[in-house]
Amino acid sequence: MIAVFAVAPVVLVTLLVGLRGVAAMRTTSDFLVASRRVSPLVNSAAVSGEYLSAASFLGVAGLVVKDGVGSLWYPVGFTAGYVAMLVLVAAPMRRSGAVTVPDFAEARLASRPLRVLSAVVVLVIAGLYLVPQFRTAGLVLSVVSGTPYWVGVVIAAAVVSVTLAVGGMRAATYVQAFQFCFKLVLFIVPAIWLLLSVGPQVRHDAVHPVEFTHFTRDTTVSFGLEVTLEVREPLTVGTPDGSRTYPPGDLRVTAGQTLVFPEGAAVPGVRGGAAPGGADWRRPLLHLGEEGYPLLTTWAILLATVLGTMGLPHVLMRFHTSPDGRAARRTAAITVGLLSVFYLFPGVYGLLGAVLVPQLHLSGATDTAVVALPAQVDAGTTGAVFTTLLTAGAFAAFLATSLGLLLVVAGAISHDLVPGGVGRLRFTVVAAAAVVVLLALPSARIDVGVLVTWGFTVAAATFCPLLVLGVWWSRLTAAGAIAGVTAGLLATSGGIVASLFGPPAHGWLAILIAQPAPWAVPLAFATMIGVSLLGRPPPWAAAAMLRLHLVERGSRTTSTPSPERELDGRDLGHSSWATRRSSAVRRVTRRLSR
Amino acid sequence: MTQQRRVAVTSPQTRLAHARRRAHTAWRPSALDPADAERALRVFAAQRRRAAVAVAALGALVFGLPVLLGALPVLAEVRLLGIPVAWPALVLVPFPAMVWLARWHLRHAERVEDRP
Repeated sequence: MIAVFAVAPVVLVTLLVGLRGVAAMRTTSDFLVASRRVSPLVNSAAVSGEYLSAASFLGVAGLVVKDGVGSLWYPVGFTAGYVAMLVLVAAPMRRSGAVTVPDFAEARLASRPLRVLSAVVVLVIAGLYLVPQFRTAGLVLSVVSGTPYWVGVVIAAAVVSVTLAVGGMRAATYVQAFQFCFKLVLFIVPAIWLLLSVGPQVRHDAVHPVEFTHFTRDTTVSFGLEVTLEVREPLTVGTPDGSRTYPPGDLRVTAGQTLVFPEGAAVPGVRGGAAPGGADWRRPLLHLGEEGYPLLTTWAILLATVLGTMGLPHVLMRFHTSPDGRAARRTAAITVGLLSVFYLFPGVYGLLGAVLVPQLHLSGATDTAVVALPAQVDAGTTGAVFTTLLTAGAFAAFLATSLGLLLVVAGAISHDLVPGGVGRLRFTVVAAAAVVVLLALPSARIDVGVLVTWGFTVAAATFCPLLVLGVWWSRLTAAGAIAGVTAGLLATSGGIVASLFGPPAHGWLAILIAQPAPWAVPLAFATMIGVSLLGRPPPWAAAAMLRLHLVERGSRTTSTPSPERELDGRDLGHSSWATRRSSAVRRVTRRLSR
Repeated sequence: MTQQRRVAVTSPQTRLAHARRRAHTAWRPSALDPADAERALRVFAAQRRRAAVAVAALGALVFGLPVLLGALPVLAEVRLLGIPVAWPALVLVPFPAMVWLARWHLRHAERVEDRP
């Protein structure tokens, strides 16, 4: 029932708002960047709506329950990425006149191979990001309503691809902007209600955490995935076929099993994780398993999230919908504010979750902590209403993020790899959604945290150096950019593949393999700079870079022409080619390399 | 009354251009007016200075705060209104600071562009 009330309105409203955005669409620019007519406020709401995925709506609070207070560094990194975007790339990138990131690469460096390579990187990042979104849609729907996993995946794919195929970026913009407001309300109101109605004892426990060592009441835990628990003293649990006693040692719980832990029993350990409330949990820094070096881990994750946000292709594409560079910059600034409001609240859910549903860390289902909380506070109708609201918000989160990602996939295929018209773009959207469904169906068991971290780290080591150097360094060459992007892609992917399948490592080595950003990003920058310095930039390179910093005509607030130009007495609209000679520009830009 | 299909009104050239298969157009280096080049160079230098300051401030905030919290574990013990000081510091310090930094940089970056 909850599923129907939560998901059906979100799906319907998404389709309706999306159809409102349908307008006559003739060109690729109409489809991919909404004809570049989106105002900064609407665009920043859309950026925030797109960015607040399931990872923000459910994931951060779940990580607080699982790993501790230090997980609140993730939202700090997510938001700081927009400050970096505002400062370094937003306005110049928009002025390039590109539609996608590969477009930007070609506009700045005039290299077709670089465009193809960038399109491939877009597909890698979008794939790593899109599969977890569809997967979480399937899981959340199956948790709240008991439908099979594939139903949620297919519903999400159908809604997203229909909205996009019909309305393109314009529909996506309205849906995402609307869903940001929707998510903001659905996240803040239940948080305040929870805080007010949990009672003084829980509020006290939330800020005075004690390690979760013994069950304080009979606790039912259903295991969705196979888990190995470490039983430390003989443990009697209730199973559907009567109670069983396990001796100390490893206890393998198969997927789909439900165990009832009696009051007072010792909590078994979970491999690779500390129990909520312990000393590691309370420390305001991140930690990776029991490897130590909390400061290194925190820095590694901050670096990946800040620089990764700057290179996420679906976010960058949203900035191209702004009318000019100045509007793109304002969009980034407003986004920082909007995200800051939202991110005040995941901590509330996390701290309450650690007190009320600490057992979720046994089954590894801490992602459902947010949705599980209202039922713990109020078993009646009010609790059910708030569960419904939070489920609706979570479903909106998958849809908004998937819209942007699917659009960027369609753009990479039908605009960059095999250029075609609007008709081909519409078809690509549907085809790409079908492929992602096929990828998401077998991934129910994958740890999505790894995939999303992977996506962020790849973006940080490929597009971040490409954009930053492309905008701020005139000596970047196409060969350097290709070498740097390749090095970044191989280094980050190699590190993460090694941490998943390679030999076990310990200490700082393990952290640097699982979180390769601290060395992969400098490596990519160094490769790009080194290879560029070996070659020679083409003569027009400095002009191509400077053009990105030149304010568009007509968008300056003070519209009085500069006095020196009036003295000059030239009519700029009719200047002859003699004064536009590229040698004249080169003489000016030669000062850059001095 | 029969329902008529709505047709976009375009000039014959535009219609032809849209109907044609869109081949990848040859890349042309961007033209920059020499008068604009001088100005662009000035704006670029000023924006680069601004950006360096803002990135340094952001780095100090985002990477300095974990150092501070790691170096002073006492912050996790001291309580204000019953809450360990280090916990709200993770939320109530970085977010307002970043909003302020974004505003500050936006104002200065636009001022640089508005300069004649």
